[in-house]
Amino acid sequence: MKDVYLIVGFLQIVFVIFMQWQVYLRKIVITFALSSAAIAVFLFVNGTYLNSINLIILAFLTIAVRGVFIPYYMLKKLKAPYKDREPRNVIPTALSIVISLFLVVVAYVVYNFTLYDITYVKAGSIPIALILQGIFLIISRNNAFIQLIGYMVMENSLFLLAGYMFPELPLIIEGGILLDLIGVVMISGIVMRLREDTVSNVIEEFEEFKG
Amino acid sequence: MLFLLSVLQLLYVLITAPLIAGIFGKITERYESKVGPSIFQPYYDLYKLFNKQSVVPEVASPLFQIVPYVTFAMYMFLTLVLPIITAFPLTFGPVVDFIGGGLIFGAIASLKKIASLDSRSNYSHLGVSRASSIGALAEPIIVLIFITFGVISHTNNPYVVNNIMQTSTQWYLSLIHWFVVFAFFMALIVETGKLPIESHSNNEFGMIDQAIEMEYSGRELAFMKWGSYIKQFLLMSVFLNDFLIPFWVPMKVGLISVIIYGFIHLLKMIVLSVIFATIQSTVSKYKLFKNFEYVAVAFSFAFLAIIVFYTTGGAL
Repeated sequence: MKDVYLIVGFLQIVFVIFMQWQVYLRKIVITFALSSAAIAVFLFVNGTYLNSINLIILAFLTIAVRGVFIPYYMLKKLKAPYKDREPRNVIPTALSIVISLFLVVVAYVVYNFTLYDITYVKAGSIPIALILQGIFLIISRNNAFIQLIGYMVMENSLFLLAGYMFPELPLIIEGGILLDLIGVVMISGIVMRLREDTVSNVIEEFEEFKG
Repeated sequence: MLFLLSVLQLLYVLITAPLIAGIFGKITERYESKVGPSIFQPYYDLYKLFNKQSVVPEVASPLFQIVPYVTFAMYMFLTLVLPIITAFPLTFGPVVDFIGGGLIFGAIASLKKIASLDSRSNYSHLGVSRASSIGALAEPIIVLIFITFGVISHTNNPYVVNNIMQTSTQWYLSLIHWFVVFAFFMALIVETGKLPIESHSNNEFGMIDQAIEMEYSGRELAFMKWGSYIKQFLLMSVFLNDFLIPFWVPMKVGLISVIIYGFIHLLKMIVLSVIFATIQSTVSKYKLFKNFEYVAVAFSFAFLAIIVFYTTGGAL
Protein backbone atom coordinates (compact mmCIF):
# COMPACT_ATOMS: atom_id res chain seq x y z
CA MET A 1 0.00 0.00 0.00
CA LYS A 2 2.89 2.27 0.82
CA ASP A 3 4.19 1.88 -2.73
CA VAL A 4 0.89 3.03 -4.27
CA TYR A 5 0.79 5.97 -1.86
CA LEU A 6 4.33 6.98 -2.79
CA ILE A 7 3.75 6.66 -6.53
CA VAL A 8 0.48 8.63 -6.42
CA GLY A 9 1.96 11.19 -4.01
CA PHE A 10 5.01 11.93 -6.13
CA LEU A 11 2.87 11.87 -9.25
CA GLN A 12 0.81 14.66 -7.65
CA ILE A 13 3.98 16.69 -7.03
CA VAL A 14 5.01 16.22 -10.68
CA PHE A 15 1.52 17.27 -11.81
CA VAL A 16 1.72 20.48 -9.77
CA ILE A 17 5.16 21.27 -11.20
CA PHE A 18 3.71 20.66 -14.68
CA MET A 19 0.87 23.09 -13.86
CA GLN A 20 3.42 25.71 -12.82
CA TRP A 21 5.13 25.24 -16.18
CA GLN A 22 2.06 25.55 -18.38
CA VAL A 23 0.45 28.75 -19.62
CA TYR A 24 -2.52 27.10 -21.32
CA LEU A 25 -5.52 26.89 -19.01
CA ARG A 26 -6.96 23.94 -20.88
CA LYS A 27 -3.83 21.85 -20.21
CA ILE A 28 -3.85 22.84 -16.54
CA VAL A 29 -7.48 21.81 -16.14
CA ILE A 30 -6.82 18.45 -17.85
CA THR A 31 -3.76 17.92 -15.62
CA PHE A 32 -5.95 18.57 -12.60
CA ALA A 33 -8.46 16.00 -13.87
CA LEU A 34 -5.65 13.44 -14.22
CA SER A 35 -4.30 14.19 -10.75
CA SER A 36 -7.81 13.75 -9.30
CA ALA A 37 -8.14 10.45 -11.15
CA ALA A 38 -4.84 9.33 -9.60
CA ILE A 39 -6.18 10.22 -6.12
CA ALA A 40 -9.34 8.25 -6.88
CA VAL A 41 -7.28 5.22 -7.90
CA PHE A 42 -5.31 5.49 -4.66
CA LEU A 43 -8.49 5.71 -2.57
CA PHE A 44 -9.98 2.75 -4.40
CA VAL A 45 -6.88 0.59 -3.95
CA ASN A 46 -6.61 1.55 -0.29
CA GLY A 47 -10.31 0.92 0.20
CA THR A 48 -10.01 -2.55 -1.31
CA TYR A 49 -6.87 -3.26 0.72
CA LEU A 50 -8.46 -2.15 4.02
CA ASN A 51 -11.88 -3.53 3.06
CA SER A 52 -13.37 -0.10 3.72
CA ILE A 53 -16.56 0.68 1.83
CA ASN A 54 -16.24 4.35 2.84
CA LEU A 55 -12.98 4.77 0.95
CA ILE A 56 -14.40 3.02 -2.12
CA ILE A 57 -17.44 5.32 -2.13
CA LEU A 58 -15.09 8.27 -1.70
CA ALA A 59 -13.02 7.05 -4.66
CA PHE A 60 -16.10 6.98 -6.90
CA LEU A 61 -17.21 10.40 -5.63
CA THR A 62 -13.72 11.79 -6.31
CA ILE A 63 -13.57 10.54 -9.88
CA ALA A 64 -17.11 11.73 -10.59
CA VAL A 65 -16.82 15.18 -9.02
CA ARG A 66 -13.13 16.11 -9.39
CA GLY A 67 -12.09 13.91 -12.25
CA VAL A 68 -15.04 14.56 -14.55
CA PHE A 69 -17.61 17.13 -13.47
CA ILE A 70 -15.41 20.02 -12.28
CA PRO A 71 -12.89 19.83 -15.18
CA TYR A 72 -15.78 19.56 -17.67
CA TYR A 73 -17.54 22.56 -16.11
CA MET A 74 -14.34 24.63 -16.10
CA LEU A 75 -13.50 23.75 -19.70
CA LYS A 76 -17.00 24.80 -20.68
CA LYS A 77 -16.56 28.11 -18.90
CA LEU A 78 -13.32 28.91 -20.73
CA LYS A 79 -14.20 31.20 -23.59
CA ALA A 80 -12.51 32.14 -26.83
CA PRO A 81 -9.03 30.70 -27.68
CA TYR A 82 -7.16 33.81 -26.56
CA LYS A 83 -8.68 33.40 -23.13
CA ASP A 84 -7.25 29.92 -23.10
CA ARG A 85 -3.82 31.13 -22.09
CA GLU A 86 -2.39 33.37 -19.44
CA PRO A 87 0.24 35.64 -20.93
CA ARG A 88 1.13 37.51 -17.73
CA ASN A 89 3.07 35.90 -14.91
CA VAL A 90 3.55 37.28 -11.41
CA ILE A 91 6.76 35.26 -11.01
CA PRO A 92 8.90 34.06 -13.94
CA THR A 93 7.91 30.50 -14.82
CA ALA A 94 11.36 28.92 -14.38
CA LEU A 95 11.71 30.55 -10.95
CA SER A 96 8.22 29.45 -9.91
CA ILE A 97 9.08 25.83 -10.82
CA VAL A 98 12.21 25.98 -8.68
CA ILE A 99 10.30 27.60 -5.78
CA SER A 100 7.63 24.90 -6.04
CA LEU A 101 10.38 22.29 -5.80
CA PHE A 102 11.96 24.12 -2.87
CA LEU A 103 8.61 23.93 -1.05
CA VAL A 104 8.79 20.12 -1.27
CA VAL A 105 12.13 20.26 0.54
CA VAL A 106 10.73 22.70 3.13
CA ALA A 107 7.76 20.38 3.74
CA TYR A 108 10.10 17.40 4.16
CA VAL A 109 12.32 19.21 6.66
CA VAL A 110 9.46 20.74 8.65
CA TYR A 111 7.58 17.44 8.75
CA ASN A 112 10.60 15.52 9.97
CA PHE A 113 11.20 17.97 12.80
CA THR A 114 7.58 18.20 13.90
CA LEU A 115 4.89 15.71 12.87
CA TYR A 116 7.11 12.69 12.23
CA ASP A 117 7.45 12.10 15.96
CA ILE A 118 3.67 11.69 16.16
CA THR A 119 2.84 9.83 12.95
CA TYR A 120 6.01 7.76 12.38
CA VAL A 121 5.17 7.71 8.66
CA LYS A 122 8.30 8.62 6.73
CA ALA A 123 6.52 9.70 3.56
CA GLY A 124 3.96 11.83 5.40
CA SER A 125 5.57 15.01 4.10
CA ILE A 126 4.13 14.51 0.59
CA PRO A 127 0.60 15.86 1.33
CA ILE A 128 2.11 18.79 3.25
CA ALA A 129 4.34 19.55 0.28
CA LEU A 130 1.28 19.46 -1.96
CA ILE A 131 -0.58 21.89 0.31
CA LEU A 132 2.35 24.34 0.11
CA GLN A 133 2.59 23.87 -3.66
CA GLY A 134 -1.16 24.52 -4.01
CA ILE A 135 -0.84 27.74 -2.00
CA PHE A 136 2.08 28.78 -4.16
CA LEU A 137 0.12 28.03 -7.35
CA ILE A 138 -2.56 30.43 -6.06
CA ILE A 139 -0.18 33.27 -5.27
CA SER A 140 2.02 32.86 -8.35
CA ARG A 141 -0.79 33.20 -10.89
CA ASN A 142 -3.17 35.99 -11.85
CA ASN A 143 -5.85 33.93 -13.47
CA ALA A 144 -8.81 33.08 -11.24
CA PHE A 145 -9.30 29.66 -12.86
CA ILE A 146 -5.74 28.64 -12.01
CA GLN A 147 -6.14 30.00 -8.50
CA LEU A 148 -9.23 27.85 -8.13
CA ILE A 149 -7.25 24.84 -9.30
CA GLY A 150 -4.53 25.71 -6.74
CA TYR A 151 -7.21 25.56 -4.06
CA MET A 152 -8.40 22.19 -5.33
CA VAL A 153 -4.82 20.87 -5.39
CA MET A 154 -4.74 21.64 -1.65
CA GLU A 155 -7.96 19.68 -1.24
CA ASN A 156 -6.55 16.76 -3.24
CA SER A 157 -3.60 16.65 -0.88
CA LEU A 158 -5.98 16.48 2.09
CA PHE A 159 -7.64 13.46 0.50
CA LEU A 160 -4.25 11.85 0.03
CA LEU A 161 -3.36 12.56 3.66
CA ALA A 162 -6.70 11.33 5.00
CA GLY A 163 -6.85 8.33 2.67
CA TYR A 164 -3.46 7.04 3.80
CA MET A 165 -3.08 8.12 7.41
CA PHE A 166 -6.67 8.45 8.65
CA PRO A 167 -8.78 6.04 6.60
CA GLU A 168 -11.30 5.77 9.46
CA LEU A 169 -12.36 9.40 9.04
CA PRO A 170 -16.18 9.50 8.70
CA LEU A 171 -17.42 9.54 5.12
CA ILE A 172 -19.84 12.35 5.86
CA ILE A 173 -16.95 14.77 6.49
CA GLU A 174 -14.93 13.90 3.39
CA GLY A 175 -17.99 13.52 1.18
CA GLY A 176 -19.29 16.83 2.50
CA ILE A 177 -16.06 18.59 1.57
CA LEU A 178 -16.21 17.06 -1.88
CA LEU A 179 -19.79 18.11 -2.54
CA ASP A 180 -19.17 21.61 -1.15
CA LEU A 181 -16.60 21.95 -3.85
CA ILE A 182 -19.21 21.71 -6.59
CA GLY A 183 -20.94 24.76 -5.15
CA VAL A 184 -17.67 26.66 -4.81
CA VAL A 185 -16.63 25.93 -8.40
CA MET A 186 -20.04 26.75 -9.88
CA ILE A 187 -20.36 30.04 -8.02
CA SER A 188 -16.74 30.95 -8.86
CA GLY A 189 -17.37 30.13 -12.51
CA ILE A 190 -20.36 32.45 -12.65
CA VAL A 191 -18.50 35.24 -10.83
CA MET A 192 -15.50 34.87 -13.18
CA ARG A 193 -17.75 34.91 -16.22
CA LEU A 194 -19.42 38.10 -14.98
CA ARG A 195 -16.03 39.69 -14.29
CA GLU A 196 -14.67 38.74 -17.71
CA ASP A 197 -17.74 40.19 -19.42
CA THR A 198 -17.19 43.54 -17.74
CA VAL A 199 -13.38 43.74 -18.08
CA SER A 200 -11.93 44.63 -21.49
CA ASN A 201 -10.93 41.66 -23.60
CA VAL A 202 -8.11 43.41 -25.37
CA ILE A 203 -4.71 41.88 -24.67
CA GLU A 204 -1.85 44.11 -25.69
CA GLU A 205 -0.53 43.14 -29.05
CA PHE A 206 2.96 42.09 -27.96
CA GLU A 207 2.12 40.89 -24.50
CA GLU A 208 2.29 37.26 -25.63
CA PHE A 209 5.94 37.66 -26.50
CA LYS A 210 6.99 38.69 -23.01
CA GLY A 211 8.80 36.18 -20.82
CA MET B 1 41.06 -10.15 -25.29
CA LEU B 2 40.05 -6.98 -23.43
CA PHE B 3 42.39 -4.94 -25.60
CA LEU B 4 40.88 -6.46 -28.74
CA LEU B 5 37.38 -5.66 -27.49
CA SER B 6 38.50 -2.09 -26.71
CA VAL B 7 39.62 -1.67 -30.31
CA LEU B 8 36.36 -3.24 -31.49
CA GLN B 9 34.30 -0.82 -29.37
CA LEU B 10 36.31 2.14 -30.64
CA LEU B 11 35.79 1.15 -34.27
CA TYR B 12 32.13 0.41 -33.62
CA VAL B 13 31.51 3.92 -32.28
CA LEU B 14 33.65 5.68 -34.90
CA ILE B 15 31.85 3.90 -37.74
CA THR B 16 28.25 3.85 -36.51
CA ALA B 17 28.06 7.33 -34.91
CA PRO B 18 27.57 9.11 -38.29
CA LEU B 19 25.02 6.44 -39.28
CA ILE B 20 22.82 7.24 -36.28
CA ALA B 21 23.03 10.95 -37.18
CA GLY B 22 22.07 10.05 -40.76
CA ILE B 23 19.09 7.95 -39.64
CA PHE B 24 17.93 10.76 -37.37
CA GLY B 25 18.20 13.25 -40.25
CA LYS B 26 16.24 10.93 -42.52
CA ILE B 27 13.44 10.43 -40.00
CA THR B 28 13.03 14.17 -39.34
CA GLU B 29 12.77 14.79 -43.09
CA ARG B 30 10.22 11.99 -43.46
CA TYR B 31 8.15 13.67 -40.74
CA GLU B 32 8.04 16.74 -42.96
CA SER B 33 6.84 14.59 -45.88
CA LYS B 34 10.15 14.99 -47.69
CA VAL B 35 12.25 12.21 -49.16
CA GLY B 36 15.27 13.46 -47.23
CA PRO B 37 18.96 12.69 -47.73
CA SER B 38 20.36 9.17 -47.62
CA ILE B 39 21.10 7.75 -44.18
CA PHE B 40 24.75 7.67 -45.32
CA GLN B 41 24.79 11.43 -45.95
CA PRO B 42 27.01 12.18 -42.89
CA TYR B 43 29.65 9.82 -44.35
CA TYR B 44 29.52 11.65 -47.70
CA ASP B 45 29.77 14.99 -45.87
CA LEU B 46 32.78 13.84 -43.86
CA TYR B 47 34.46 12.47 -47.00
CA LYS B 48 33.87 15.75 -48.79
CA LEU B 49 35.17 17.83 -45.88
CA PHE B 50 38.30 15.70 -45.50
CA ASN B 51 39.15 16.44 -49.12
CA LYS B 52 38.60 20.18 -48.85
CA GLN B 53 41.10 22.89 -48.13
CA SER B 54 40.99 24.47 -44.66
CA VAL B 55 40.53 28.20 -44.28
CA VAL B 56 41.58 29.73 -40.98
CA PRO B 57 40.68 33.27 -39.83
CA GLU B 58 43.72 35.52 -40.00
CA VAL B 59 43.27 36.73 -36.42
CA ALA B 60 42.92 33.25 -34.89
CA SER B 61 45.72 31.76 -32.75
CA PRO B 62 47.11 28.20 -33.27
CA LEU B 63 44.65 26.99 -30.61
CA PHE B 64 41.85 27.41 -33.12
CA GLN B 65 43.40 24.76 -35.37
CA ILE B 66 44.52 22.38 -32.61
CA VAL B 67 41.20 22.11 -30.76
CA PRO B 68 39.32 19.91 -33.31
CA TYR B 69 42.06 17.27 -33.10
CA VAL B 70 42.33 17.45 -29.30
CA THR B 71 38.57 17.22 -28.77
CA PHE B 72 38.28 14.34 -31.22
CA ALA B 73 41.01 12.48 -29.32
CA MET B 74 39.14 13.11 -26.06
CA TYR B 75 35.95 11.69 -27.55
CA MET B 76 37.92 8.60 -28.62
CA PHE B 77 39.20 8.25 -25.07
CA LEU B 78 35.65 8.46 -23.71
CA THR B 79 34.64 5.72 -26.13
CA LEU B 80 37.15 3.42 -24.45
CA VAL B 81 35.88 3.97 -20.89
CA LEU B 82 32.09 3.89 -21.19
CA PRO B 83 29.83 0.81 -21.39
CA ILE B 84 28.82 0.84 -25.04
CA ILE B 85 28.75 -2.79 -26.14
CA THR B 86 30.12 -4.42 -22.99
CA ALA B 87 28.98 -4.38 -19.36
CA PHE B 88 32.43 -5.43 -18.11
CA PRO B 89 35.27 -2.89 -17.89
CA LEU B 90 37.58 -2.86 -20.88
CA THR B 91 41.32 -2.14 -20.70
CA PHE B 92 40.88 1.58 -19.95
CA GLY B 93 37.60 1.15 -18.05
CA PRO B 94 38.96 1.70 -14.52
CA VAL B 95 40.64 4.99 -15.53
CA VAL B 96 37.60 7.23 -14.97
CA ASP B 97 34.15 7.03 -13.43
CA PHE B 98 30.95 8.96 -14.22
CA ILE B 99 32.27 12.18 -12.70
CA GLY B 100 35.56 11.82 -14.59
CA GLY B 101 33.67 11.22 -17.84
CA GLY B 102 31.49 14.24 -17.11
CA LEU B 103 34.58 16.36 -16.53
CA ILE B 104 36.06 15.26 -19.86
CA PHE B 105 32.78 16.14 -21.60
CA GLY B 106 32.95 19.51 -19.82
CA ALA B 107 36.58 20.03 -20.86
CA ILE B 108 35.69 19.30 -24.49
CA ALA B 109 32.82 21.83 -24.37
CA SER B 110 35.11 24.45 -22.81
CA LEU B 111 37.86 23.88 -25.38
CA LYS B 112 35.37 24.21 -28.22
CA LYS B 113 34.03 27.45 -26.78
CA ILE B 114 37.50 28.94 -26.27
CA ALA B 115 38.50 28.02 -29.83
CA SER B 116 35.26 29.43 -31.13
CA LEU B 117 35.82 32.72 -29.30
CA ASP B 118 39.33 32.71 -30.74
CA SER B 119 37.89 32.98 -34.24
CA ARG B 120 36.66 36.51 -33.34
CA SER B 121 33.45 35.95 -35.28
CA ASN B 122 30.35 37.64 -33.92
CA TYR B 123 28.16 34.67 -34.79
CA SER B 124 30.51 32.29 -32.96
CA HIS B 125 30.38 34.54 -29.90
CA LEU B 126 26.59 34.44 -30.08
CA GLY B 127 26.63 30.63 -30.17
CA VAL B 128 29.14 30.39 -27.29
CA SER B 129 27.05 32.75 -25.20
CA ARG B 130 23.89 30.73 -25.79
CA ALA B 131 25.58 27.36 -25.28
CA SER B 132 27.15 28.59 -22.02
CA SER B 133 23.92 29.90 -20.57
CA ILE B 134 22.06 26.69 -21.41
CA GLY B 135 24.99 24.51 -20.28
CA ALA B 136 25.18 26.32 -16.94
CA LEU B 137 21.64 25.12 -16.26
CA ALA B 138 21.85 21.69 -17.88
CA GLU B 139 25.15 20.55 -16.34
CA PRO B 140 23.91 20.60 -12.70
CA ILE B 141 21.16 18.20 -13.76
CA ILE B 142 23.70 15.73 -15.09
CA VAL B 143 25.76 16.07 -11.90
CA LEU B 144 22.65 15.49 -9.77
CA ILE B 145 21.77 12.41 -11.81
CA PHE B 146 25.22 10.94 -11.33
CA ILE B 147 25.16 11.70 -7.61
CA THR B 148 21.77 9.99 -7.29
CA PHE B 149 23.05 6.91 -9.06
CA GLY B 150 26.16 7.03 -6.92
CA VAL B 151 23.91 6.91 -3.86
CA ILE B 152 21.98 3.94 -5.25
CA SER B 153 24.92 1.86 -6.37
CA HIS B 154 27.52 3.12 -3.84
CA THR B 155 29.83 3.72 -6.77
CA ASN B 156 30.21 6.05 -9.71
CA ASN B 157 31.41 3.38 -12.05
CA PRO B 158 29.09 3.13 -15.09
CA TYR B 159 29.79 -0.59 -15.47
CA VAL B 160 28.72 -1.30 -11.89
CA VAL B 161 25.59 0.81 -12.35
CA ASN B 162 24.72 -1.23 -15.44
CA ASN B 163 25.25 -4.53 -13.60
CA ILE B 164 23.05 -3.39 -10.70
CA MET B 165 20.30 -2.27 -13.05
CA GLN B 166 20.48 -5.52 -15.02
CA THR B 167 20.31 -7.74 -11.98
CA SER B 168 18.14 -5.82 -9.48
CA THR B 169 14.47 -5.61 -10.48
CA GLN B 170 13.80 -3.67 -7.27
CA TRP B 171 16.10 -0.81 -8.30
CA TYR B 172 15.03 -0.91 -11.92
CA LEU B 173 11.35 -0.50 -11.00
CA SER B 174 12.03 2.02 -8.22
CA LEU B 175 10.58 5.50 -8.35
CA ILE B 176 14.07 6.95 -7.87
CA HIS B 177 15.32 5.24 -11.02
CA TRP B 178 12.42 6.45 -13.12
CA PHE B 179 12.72 10.03 -11.92
CA VAL B 180 16.39 9.87 -12.87
CA VAL B 181 15.49 8.38 -16.27
CA PHE B 182 13.07 11.25 -16.98
CA ALA B 183 15.58 13.86 -15.84
CA PHE B 184 18.36 12.34 -17.92
CA PHE B 185 16.10 12.02 -20.93
CA MET B 186 15.20 15.72 -20.72
CA ALA B 187 18.84 16.69 -20.17
CA LEU B 188 19.90 14.43 -23.04
CA ILE B 189 17.57 16.24 -25.41
CA VAL B 190 19.24 19.52 -24.44
CA GLU B 191 22.79 18.13 -24.56
CA THR B 192 22.36 16.60 -28.01
CA GLY B 193 20.66 19.70 -29.39
CA LYS B 194 17.38 17.90 -30.03
CA LEU B 195 15.17 20.36 -28.17
CA PRO B 196 13.05 22.25 -30.66
CA ILE B 197 14.59 25.61 -29.86
CA GLU B 198 17.61 25.08 -31.97
CA SER B 199 18.00 25.58 -35.68
CA HIS B 200 20.49 23.33 -37.43
CA SER B 201 20.92 25.66 -40.35
CA ASN B 202 22.84 28.92 -40.38
CA ASN B 203 19.84 30.83 -39.09
CA GLU B 204 21.05 33.22 -36.45
CA PHE B 205 17.80 33.19 -34.45
CA GLY B 206 18.10 29.57 -33.45
CA MET B 207 21.66 28.44 -33.92
CA ILE B 208 23.69 27.31 -30.96
CA ASP B 209 26.05 24.44 -31.78
CA GLN B 210 26.01 25.42 -35.43
CA ALA B 211 27.46 28.84 -34.55
CA ILE B 212 30.32 27.41 -32.48
CA GLU B 213 31.85 25.61 -35.45
CA MET B 214 30.91 28.28 -37.96
CA GLU B 215 34.45 29.46 -38.77
CA TYR B 216 35.80 25.95 -39.26
CA SER B 217 36.27 24.39 -42.67
CA GLY B 218 37.91 21.41 -44.35
CA ARG B 219 39.49 18.73 -42.18
CA GLU B 220 38.99 20.66 -38.92
CA LEU B 221 35.26 20.97 -39.57
CA ALA B 222 35.13 17.26 -40.42
CA PHE B 223 36.68 16.39 -37.04
CA MET B 224 34.32 18.80 -35.25
CA LYS B 225 31.30 17.23 -36.93
CA TRP B 226 32.48 13.67 -36.42
CA GLY B 227 33.18 14.53 -32.76
CA SER B 228 29.61 15.84 -32.41
CA TYR B 229 28.24 12.59 -33.84
CA ILE B 230 30.36 10.61 -31.36
CA LYS B 231 29.24 12.80 -28.44
CA GLN B 232 25.62 12.20 -29.35
CA PHE B 233 26.27 8.47 -29.73
CA LEU B 234 28.05 8.22 -26.37
CA LEU B 235 25.41 10.13 -24.41
CA MET B 236 22.62 8.10 -26.00
CA SER B 237 24.51 4.87 -25.25
CA VAL B 238 25.01 5.79 -21.59
CA PHE B 239 21.33 6.68 -21.34
CA LEU B 240 20.30 3.36 -22.87
CA ASN B 241 22.83 1.10 -21.17
CA ASP B 242 22.83 2.61 -17.70
CA PHE B 243 19.38 4.08 -17.36
CA LEU B 244 16.55 3.15 -19.72
CA ILE B 245 17.22 -0.35 -21.10
CA PRO B 246 20.28 -1.76 -19.34
CA PHE B 247 19.42 -5.30 -20.43
CA TRP B 248 21.22 -7.69 -22.76
CA VAL B 249 24.58 -5.93 -22.45
CA PRO B 250 27.13 -8.78 -22.12
CA MET B 251 28.38 -9.06 -18.53
CA LYS B 252 30.93 -11.79 -19.30
CA VAL B 253 33.92 -11.52 -21.64
CA GLY B 254 33.14 -13.07 -25.02
CA LEU B 255 33.63 -11.94 -28.59
CA ILE B 256 30.47 -13.47 -30.08
CA SER B 257 28.14 -12.06 -27.42
CA VAL B 258 29.70 -8.61 -27.82
CA ILE B 259 29.26 -8.71 -31.60
CA ILE B 260 25.63 -9.83 -31.28
CA TYR B 261 24.98 -7.09 -28.74
CA GLY B 262 26.53 -4.59 -31.17
CA PHE B 263 23.57 -5.17 -33.48
CA ILE B 264 21.06 -5.03 -30.62
CA HIS B 265 22.60 -1.76 -29.46
CA LEU B 266 22.22 -0.32 -32.94
CA LEU B 267 18.53 -1.21 -32.85
CA LYS B 268 18.15 0.46 -29.45
CA MET B 269 19.83 3.58 -30.82
CA ILE B 270 17.52 3.65 -33.83
CA VAL B 271 14.44 3.40 -31.60
CA LEU B 272 15.76 6.27 -29.45
CA SER B 273 16.47 8.30 -32.60
CA VAL B 274 12.86 7.78 -33.72
CA ILE B 275 11.67 9.06 -30.32
CA PHE B 276 13.94 12.12 -30.58
CA ALA B 277 12.84 12.82 -34.15
CA THR B 278 9.19 12.52 -33.12
CA ILE B 279 9.69 15.01 -30.29
CA GLN B 280 11.61 17.44 -32.46
CA SER B 281 9.11 17.27 -35.29
CA THR B 282 5.87 17.32 -33.34
CA VAL B 283 6.60 19.78 -30.51
CA SER B 284 6.22 23.35 -31.72
CA LYS B 285 9.41 25.38 -31.72
CA TYR B 286 10.20 27.06 -28.41
CA LYS B 287 11.35 30.60 -28.01
CA LEU B 288 14.98 30.55 -26.93
CA PHE B 289 14.33 31.86 -23.43
CA LYS B 290 11.66 29.18 -22.84
CA ASN B 291 14.54 26.72 -22.60
CA PHE B 292 15.12 27.79 -19.00
CA GLU B 293 11.65 26.62 -18.02
CA TYR B 294 12.28 23.27 -19.66
CA VAL B 295 15.60 22.90 -17.87
CA ALA B 296 13.94 23.84 -14.55
CA VAL B 297 11.49 20.95 -15.00
CA ALA B 298 14.34 18.55 -15.81
CA PHE B 299 16.15 19.77 -12.68
CA SER B 300 12.96 19.14 -10.69
CA PHE B 301 12.90 15.49 -11.78
CA ALA B 302 16.55 14.99 -10.83
CA PHE B 303 16.01 16.66 -7.47
CA LEU B 304 12.80 14.76 -6.79
CA ALA B 305 14.76 11.52 -7.21
CA ILE B 306 16.90 12.52 -4.23
CA ILE B 307 13.82 13.56 -2.23
CA VAL B 308 12.23 10.16 -2.99
CA PHE B 309 15.40 8.48 -1.79
CA TYR B 310 15.26 10.25 1.57
CA THR B 311 11.48 10.08 1.92
CA THR B 312 11.44 6.34 1.44
CA GLY B 313 14.62 5.73 3.36
CA GLY B 314 16.21 4.38 0.18
CA ALA B 315 13.79 1.46 0.09
CA LEU B 316 11.80 2.07 -3.08
